Amino acid sequence: METGQSITHLALTYFLVTNPIGNSPLILTLLKNFNFDKQRQIMLREGIFTFLVMLVFQFLGEYFLTMLSIEPPALTLCGGIILFLLAMGMLFPSHHENESKLIQQEPYLVPIATPLLAGPGLLSVIMLTAANEDSTFKVSAAITVACVGVISVLYAAPYVQKLIGKVGLQVLEQIMGMILTLMAVEMILMGAGNFVKTL
Amino acid sequence: MFLNLVLVLFFIMDSIGNTASYLQMVNGLNPKRQKYIVIREMLIALAAMILFSYIGEFIFSELNLSEATVRVASGVILFLIALKILFPSPTSLRANLPKEEPFIVPLAIPLIAGPSLLATIMLFARLEPSQVRLLSAIFIAWAISVGVLWNAPRLHRLIGNNGLIACERLTGMILILLAVQRFLEGIAEFIPLYCQKG
Repeated sequence: METGQSITHLALTYFLVTNPIGNSPLILTLLKNFNFDKQRQIMLREGIFTFLVMLVFQFLGEYFLTMLSIEPPALTLCGGIILFLLAMGMLFPSHHENESKLIQQEPYLVPIATPLLAGPGLLSVIMLTAANEDSTFKVSAAITVACVGVISVLYAAPYVQKLIGKVGLQVLEQIMGMILTLMAVEMILMGAGNFVKTL
Repeated sequence: MFLNLVLVLFFIMDSIGNTASYLQMVNGLNPKRQKYIVIREMLIALAAMILFSYIGEFIFSELNLSEATVRVASGVILFLIALKILFPSPTSLRANLPKEEPFIVPLAIPLIAGPSLLATIMLFARLEPSQVRLLSAIFIAWAISVGVLWNAPRLHRLIGNNGLIACERLTGMILILLAVQRFLEGIAEFIPLYCQKG
């Protein structure tokens, strides 16, 4: 029971931070020159890339932590700060315009899989949970569950756009941004609290 | 601990992230000239680093700085630089590189040996009792960075523009972690100091 809850909790966190719903409008605008089938193919490919990036970080992340002697409170705080900045970008979306200007060619791994979906926020969350959880399998399982969700959302995104329209997606992104802000502040407070305890 | 020094210095030099900027600057020059530029700029950067590893101690005593000050200051600088890498703004130095041959500015200083690297070296010079270890760590990290820039065109062909951007983001992520860690260390050092005085 305990394990199951934790996997669900982790998977939900990963899913929310990956933010496939909020990112869909941006991804769709990046892919607007491709036809419907090609869009879905790219979505699937990028989803799998995201999954791989997350898994690699689950293992290499911990290695980096010990190598660079970074302590858990710093990681938590850092994750919180990055998430907070990402959430601000989602709530006040001028930052997205910058990001979509960055790459104009055919997307391949970047920007969809890595800076957008498995962004710094998600990677630090994964590094954090991988450092905190005892069971490697649990984190991997949560990543897999979250990625199944992410890939399904991405795969369905071309339909979703038809269904709720651009405005609906924008509203959803705002709500996700609000939730992400709450998560970010929670992480910052947790990090600060843990840091004060170590003093 | 030694490996830690080398890795931290290597990441702050950010040679992989600077590959894209470097290629943009030397675009159009013949390969021989490009290699000459890499060696020249990197030697200048190395000179700056070694200089700072020696005058670090002097600045510490002359300005009457505490370790906490340098930790917090270098943490903040590093944090802001990492933010620029993670969320590039159209007005930053990286986005507006001059399209001409670099001489000292901007490749050697500040892209390779920037304020964050020099502050880090000052800090390490203070913390590390053995000068030889610090100098060899600087040298190894420097040599790896030279290797990366030397092979920049090959690296670019291998992983492409997008791959370079991905690597740059990854470095930005690591730098921001280092920055927060150093900031916290500075605060942790400052608090007992402050309590004593108060």
